Amino acid sequence: MSQLVTGAPAERRAPGRFQLGWDVALRLGLLSIVIILAIVFTLTAPGFLSAQNLENNERQMAVIGILAIGETFVIITAGIDLSVGSMLGFSGILAALALGHGMPIPLAIVGVLVIATLLGLFSGVLIDTASLPPFIVTLGMLGILRGFTQIFGNGQQIAFGNSPFTDFAANNFLGIPQLFWVLVVIALVAAYLLHCTRRGRHVFAIGSNLEGARRAGINVRAMTFLVYGVSALLAGIAGVLLTARQAQGDPNAGTGYELDAIAAAVLGGASLFGARGSILGTFLGVLLVQILTNGLNLLNFDPQVARIAEGALLILFVYIDHWRKRRLATA
Amino acid sequence: MTQEAQTSAVPVLAASDVSKRFGSVVALQHIDFEVYPGEIVALIGDNGAGKSTLIKILSGTLAPDSGTLLMNGKPVKFASPRDAREAGIETVYQDLALAPDLDVPANLFLGRELRRAGILGMFDMLDVRAMRTRAQSHLDTLGVKIKSIDQRVDTLSGGQRQSVAVSRSVFWGRDVVIMDEPTAALSVAQSALVIELIKRVRAGGTPVVLISHNLPHVFEAADRMIVLRHGSRVGSLDPKTATMEQAVSLMTGALAATDLRAAAAGEADDRG
Ligand SMILES: Nc1ncnc2c1ncn2[C@@H]1O[C@H](COP(=O)(O)OP(=O)(O)OP(=O)(O)O)[C@@H](O)[C@H]1O
Ligand SMILES: [Mg+2]
Repeated sequence: MSQLVTGAPAERRAPGRFQLGWDVALRLGLLSIVIILAIVFTLTAPGFLSAQNLENNERQMAVIGILAIGETFVIITAGIDLSVGSMLGFSGILAALALGHGMPIPLAIVGVLVIATLLGLFSGVLIDTASLPPFIVTLGMLGILRGFTQIFGNGQQIAFGNSPFTDFAANNFLGIPQLFWVLVVIALVAAYLLHCTRRGRHVFAIGSNLEGARRAGINVRAMTFLVYGVSALLAGIAGVLLTARQAQGDPNAGTGYELDAIAAAVLGGASLFGARGSILGTFLGVLLVQILTNGLNLLNFDPQVARIAEGALLILFVYIDHWRKRRLATA
Repeated sequence: MTQEAQTSAVPVLAASDVSKRFGSVVALQHIDFEVYPGEIVALIGDNGAGKSTLIKILSGTLAPDSGTLLMNGKPVKFASPRDAREAGIETVYQDLALAPDLDVPANLFLGRELRRAGILGMFDMLDVRAMRTRAQSHLDTLGVKIKSIDQRVDTLSGGQRQSVAVSRSVFWGRDVVIMDEPTAALSVAQSALVIELIKRVRAGGTPVVLISHNLPHVFEAADRMIVLRHGSRVGSLDPKTATMEQAVSLMTGALAATDLRAAAAGEADDRG
């Protein structure tokens, strides 16, 4: 009997090692690609390391990064949120309108974030309670929110005058844009919630085995509301920050950002099959997307080239993940 | 193996006159069922006999149409699986309920993760180290050997995975552990491993309700067998004296309803 017991794991050791090695290899691989790209662009792209360019990158990265963090929570539950770009645009316009009408800054921000979160919770209700596929619900929200954004903005930019609001986005703290500090704080809090708390563990459990999680007494409904609520809240924050940065509301803001958010999370190791992903990985993914876009831009490539590269990388990484899953199943 | 004194004791868990129908299908009719302290009671019967339905009622997943549940002689009502779990009843489901991407301690504590003491616990912080230590010592106690409990569960063999599921139910099941076909889809060697584990659970004092189509397993492990047929209890058998032929004929209806223990003689052959 004991022969049996000890014999079994030995046969099975290979996939276990494969698994562990996989995570490390992925993270290191990503890090080295980021470093290599940074070196290549430093050598070839004029002004890549200039203070101006770095600050711009950090500001843009803050916006994409905050979206991608929310997306990471959703993807780990084996869901997807396609509405983050539209939610960003929607929140940005609402903030610009509120400020333009003289609403106090804190009130405007809180109001916009509450609305965004409620809309995210609504998506969660449709997904959990009405059992609709996340892909359809959030694709619908993508259209609905963008439509309202255009109507509210009347298809035009919305100015609201300069204020401490725009100063916040323009200023630095310790030589680094304050927007980037917001990303750092959000990333730290998100990493704690996802990797160190019970609820974070439940996010992974749901992505791993939904029915099993339910039977284990995990409140799957509340957790589904929570992840889509968090994703929407973070998209709302990103929208408000982008409006501050541009000093105006833009009804087209955030168009196509869902690709950036999903690509960053997936490049960072999040699996669309669920139960895999990390905030650190997503952060590296955002860094990769940002450096790639900026470097190609500085090298005078058509901006669409970066888009093409990003889309191709996304498909490639999902393919690799699919292959990993298959190999594990047959191992 | 030899367990006596069941007849005098109060059942830890009992169902009395329980019926359940799904539309026009009568899944259970007037079922009495009881688990005594320290025994393995097997629930056997053909496909569709009502075994899973009965254990779903015992585990709070389904509500009976009529009849009562008793724990230690006192009536109880389970509105949800959570209620039953809180009452000390754990269930291992036919299809595994583990999270394959998580490691062994995470699965043992799934949904009941330990939090750090004090202020960190207020921030919902996991106590990973305590869970790991307790998981390891629990598996050691049960004699479940896994190379490293930090392995993801999907890297374990089927038998090891089932052992983890069984260990989890024992860890939390203070009063009764229910197992629906815990050896289905396992090889002979791996099933033997799980059966050994179930016996060790009984040795630890926790009664077990075992559902299995594998009669040799049932005869090897069980102290008592209850036979269901078409939603009725058609008999109970003592594996020490009964033969497999008797069990099969009771299950298929070839043998007239007999209760070798003289309790509740069956009223077989009603069809829903
Ligand atoms: N949710 C349900 N809806 C309708 N009928 C059901 C439902 N669950 C069970 N039944 C019916 O109740 C009867 C008993 O089913 P049950 O699953 O309890 O059988 P079982 O003894 O566990 O069978 P098996 O050995 O195949 O697992 C069957 O006729 C089944 O079709
Ligand atoms: Mg069954």
